Amino acid sequence: MVDDEKIEAWFCREVLPLERSLVHFIRRNWRVADDVMDLRQDVYQSAIAGARAGLPLNTRAYLFTVARNHLINCAKRARIVSFDLVADLETIPRDIDMFETERHLEARDTLHHVLAGLQKLSPRVREIVELRKIEGLSIKETADRLGIGKDAVNHQLLMGMRALADHILGGAGKIVRHRYSRGRKAGKP
Amino acid sequence: MNRSDQTDAGAAAWILAQEEDCWSDAAQADFEAWFAASDANKAAYWRLKHSWRTADRILALGATGAPGGEHAFDAAPSGYSGVRWRVPASIAAAVVAIAGIGYNLSEGLGGRETAVATRQFDTAVGARQIIELADGSKVELNTASRARAALTEKSREFWLEEGEAYFEVKHRDGLPFVVHSGNRQVTVLGTKFSVRRIGSEVAVSVLEGRVRVEEVEGKRRLRSTVIAGGDIARTDGPATLLISRSEAKVQNSLAWRDGMLNFDQTRLAEAAAEFNRYNRKPIVITDADVADIRIGGTLPAGSPDAFVRLLHDAYGLKVVHSPQAIEISN
Repeated sequence: MVDDEKIEAWFCREVLPLERSLVHFIRRNWRVADDVMDLRQDVYQSAIAGARAGLPLNTRAYLFTVARNHLINCAKRARIVSFDLVADLETIPRDIDMFETERHLEARDTLHHVLAGLQKLSPRVREIVELRKIEGLSIKETADRLGIGKDAVNHQLLMGMRALADHILGGAGKIVRHRYSRGRKAGKP
Repeated sequence: MNRSDQTDAGAAAWILAQEEDCWSDAAQADFEAWFAASDANKAAYWRLKHSWRTADRILALGATGAPGGEHAFDAAPSGYSGVRWRVPASIAAAVVAIAGIGYNLSEGLGGRETAVATRQFDTAVGARQIIELADGSKVELNTASRARAALTEKSREFWLEEGEAYFEVKHRDGLPFVVHSGNRQVTVLGTKFSVRRIGSEVAVSVLEGRVRVEEVEGKRRLRSTVIAGGDIARTDGPATLLISRSEAKVQNSLAWRDGMLNFDQTRLAEAAAEFNRYNRKPIVITDADVADIRIGGTLPAGSPDAFVRLLHDAYGLKVVHSPQAIEISN
């Protein structure tokens, strides 16, 4: 039984850098685009559960096997998918090696990469994230400084955090606005 | 809202709450219960926390990025807890620091700007054009493509802004031929290869010799890969997919030079999209399961009629010709 601390370290060090390949793989093999994020989460969940018995020696092969099995199971359950999909999935082990470039960024590259992610945020969200990261302001201090409500600050930070995570892990880094219901007090000074 | 959205939103809220001063024992207990509830919660929490920590790196800007080499801030703490030094500097200073770094980077890596006469090329839908460049290299431009070329004594540069092109580059010692396409840059000395750009996707197929494919951002070069004859590099944004030792695929990808399209277990939707690059009247597939049919074979690019006739005869699909489009359905 591997404890959570070891699993967390393994997950951040070895699994997360594969996120771009994993999402790409799911997207390529699953027709319903709206399902991709859920499927990614399912794969992470199964990967973590499996790692409890012992960390895998080859994380890449392990993660993609988990992903492949999960997609096949979902396909069988959904009963909407042609044999082509399952046949394609059978060939995955050969495909995996085709992703030869992975994200191994130097510290300087990472900084540059984070900056690029910041640039994608809207000016307001970016300002709030910078206030937090560079000046270390709390939610209340940010709200006072900008003259907006705490709920609004909280809301923008949540969006910024998730969009940045998406960008850092190789996604599009877009802000999705509909995800949070704005607090009733939002915008009140 | 999807399942993963909910989990993600929950995880993000916990991470923010934990950074606040008012984190209480009760909140800690609630968090632990949420965290232990499922591995999905753990995955979402670790993923966001890790990325959010990575974003702490922008602090480094405060330490080293000030213009003029002066340290704007004395300390550069690494974790969030260390961030809480209250520097009275305004956020504007930080922005100046960011701009400063960006400026220095681009300065350092290439400031060569020379005025060069460029030639511009455009091809219409369905057309092909062979271009002879001043250095003896030949470029064949495929349908609906746009490109520019700038050749001088010191450099040979080509920009593929849209579409697809095949290159036969004459070897010149010490004078590389550079093709810019999207966020990729292909550098060669003398070789035969093709570059295809559709939206953010750039594919490089090499027929002979070796080329270097680099990801560029502004004037910065990020990652580079060298591929040789028979290799294909497909890229989209920061991702690169290499297909090695597939001479047949490279040949197939060049079938357009003979006015043909080659499909190998290609989804009908993709095959139709390929035809639509060459013809003004688009093929539209209205059923999702029809779009997923796999087809193979070699067909003339300029006559979609032959293609849809085949679909009708071989697959029993319904074909409706309207003035605007050719519709395919079950």
